[in-house]
Amino acid sequence: MQTNHHKERLYKILVIGDLGVGKTSIIKRYVHHNFSPNYRATIGVDFALKVLNWDQETVRLQLWDIAGQERFGNMTRVYYREAMGAFIVFDVTRPASFEAVTKWKEDLDSKLTLTNGKHVATVLLANKCDQGRDVLTNNGIKMEQFCQENGFVGWYETSAKENINIDEAANCLVKHIIASEKDMLQSEVSDTITPQLEKDKGGTCSSCFRSQ
Amino acid sequence: FPTLSLSLQRDPGWKLFGKVPPREGPIKDPKKVQKEYETKSGRGGPGNPTSPRQSVRKNLDFEPLSTTALILEDRPANLPAKPVEEAQKHRQQYEEMVAQAKKRELKEAQKRKKQLEDRCKLEESIGTAAQTWNQEILPNWSAMCTSRRVRDLWWQGIPPSVRGKVWSLAVGNELNITHELYHICLSRAKVKWKTTPASSAETETEDAGCSDRESSLELIKLDISRTFPQLCIFQQGGPYHDVLHSILGAYTCYRPDVGYVQGMSFIAAVLILNLDTADAFIAFANLLNKPCQMAFFRVDHSLMLTYFAAFEVFFEENLPKLFAHFKKNNLTPDIYLIDWIFTLYSKSLPLDLACRVWDVFCRDGEEFLFRTALGLLRLYQDVLTCMDFIHMAQFLTRLPDLIPAEQLFQHIATIHMTSRNRKWAQVLQALQKDHERGSPVLKH
Repeated sequence: MQTNHHKERLYKILVIGDLGVGKTSIIKRYVHHNFSPNYRATIGVDFALKVLNWDQETVRLQLWDIAGQERFGNMTRVYYREAMGAFIVFDVTRPASFEAVTKWKEDLDSKLTLTNGKHVATVLLANKCDQGRDVLTNNGIKMEQFCQENGFVGWYETSAKENINIDEAANCLVKHIIASEKDMLQSEVSDTITPQLEKDKGGTCSSCFRSQ
Repeated sequence: FPTLSLSLQRDPGWKLFGKVPPREGPIKDPKKVQKEYETKSGRGGPGNPTSPRQSVRKNLDFEPLSTTALILEDRPANLPAKPVEEAQKHRQQYEEMVAQAKKRELKEAQKRKKQLEDRCKLEESIGTAAQTWNQEILPNWSAMCTSRRVRDLWWQGIPPSVRGKVWSLAVGNELNITHELYHICLSRAKVKWKTTPASSAETETEDAGCSDRESSLELIKLDISRTFPQLCIFQQGGPYHDVLHSILGAYTCYRPDVGYVQGMSFIAAVLILNLDTADAFIAFANLLNKPCQMAFFRVDHSLMLTYFAAFEVFFEENLPKLFAHFKKNNLTPDIYLIDWIFTLYSKSLPLDLACRVWDVFCRDGEEFLFRTALGLLRLYQDVLTCMDFIHMAQFLTRLPDLIPAEQLFQHIATIHMTSRNRKWAQVLQALQKDHERGSPVLKH
């Protein structure tokens, strides 16, 4: 908030998913506009900062690129704190990495809740789509159903290598983060938050999917 | 040459021939050009090892290349000639420019010469050090290894030719692993790999043991190609790909309870670069067996937090201002220490510098890893103090490509590893006891 007229928003975004699905590559593509097949494995956490102009406002995205090995789960959960959104990434050429998606989502939701009791906006990324399509992602209807059931606000087939859908996915996430922030502010103003009532609705967001 | 190109625009009398060597004249025989092109692009066939261009270049090494390409010309004949005064002025300007450029080039040549001399000196000192290590220290290892002189020499960096040997001796072989045991573990790993189908995707969900799944071939495979990718020696088809694979695989059979954990591939790779395969495995297993490494690679979270807490005690003691700045910005040690400790700095520091850290780590143990961290923080204290959370986090998880080795070691040397008369091990032990008693200090 440098001037009165110019508002600045800062959001912490997590990028999670199995080992080697391309989390670092996606971030490098999004922030530095390049790709290299030679990224080193991420140990612990890496960081990137992306600045966006959004409706005449400056939006700063703090991207937390978190190591993918299952074993690190306990250690990396402290990194989830105060995040406002997340990407969960899987590799379309490795079905096992898709199996892990629900596990990542459950893990995220169990450790992170917004002040209004809702889950953080999460976008699912089916990465490496340039390397041939998975049977599952071929079926758009099925994927959308999967997103609804698991509380994703959207999903994208991405390729960090070919620069496919990365900006689109990020814009979708930012849109939902801003919407959920408004939602939180409103519930604070009316001062009638009863998170328990929302519990069964999960993390679905009104602008993309409606529960039921 | 900004000044040159500027004057080029103003005065049509200047001409620049960027690439034409002056002695060759402005017009080239097209056949010669063709030939040059062929040799340059490697199509000239055998029997023509050096291109004429290259030999010309060599001759010009100590002659200012760029200035000789600047040619003062009079106006073309169809235009009125320059007035005498102007022509003289231009000539003077031209001479000044040439003189300046020559001076600059001479300076650079001197700088290059100095660099070359420094390098020769360094190589010579490495050579003498290697001799000392080989002829005096290694044959009398147990008697000499703790002497003042050896410790000083050690601090300056072990010569690469004896590095592996010294590491092996310093790390020791508490586990009594033999070459035979390594080969047994390796053959077991190979059997395991054969029985698990290459595309383990479908079978994986039915896999009972979680740790078994984690130590799977696929995990190691994915990480090997991402280990020092810039060196191009561990990737598929590279000379050390199979060696790295073997060591990591053998370890998962040697310690199935630990299995493969990210970060291990970097440690094994550094060892492979300095030791033969079986010896590298022995050093690897013994290194990982050290208390700090065991805590981290088994991801014993509460013990890791104890290490971080101990680190913070010394952080506050040594760098109180920076410590306060970190606290204010909520920058906790797990954010940067995890990468540094898991890979023993081999991922975050340039490889030659990382090896120097390993030198002293092998001698002084885990304490030196944390001392190095404080040395790094001290080295970059001024830059870090001006940064906010995200920039500090970015800086520390991706350190500059060029880190001055001598300076870093000077900073490390000034870090005191005592706090209120307690040494590292005592501080750590006290915190561990506190933790066992359930002190709330360490709860996250």
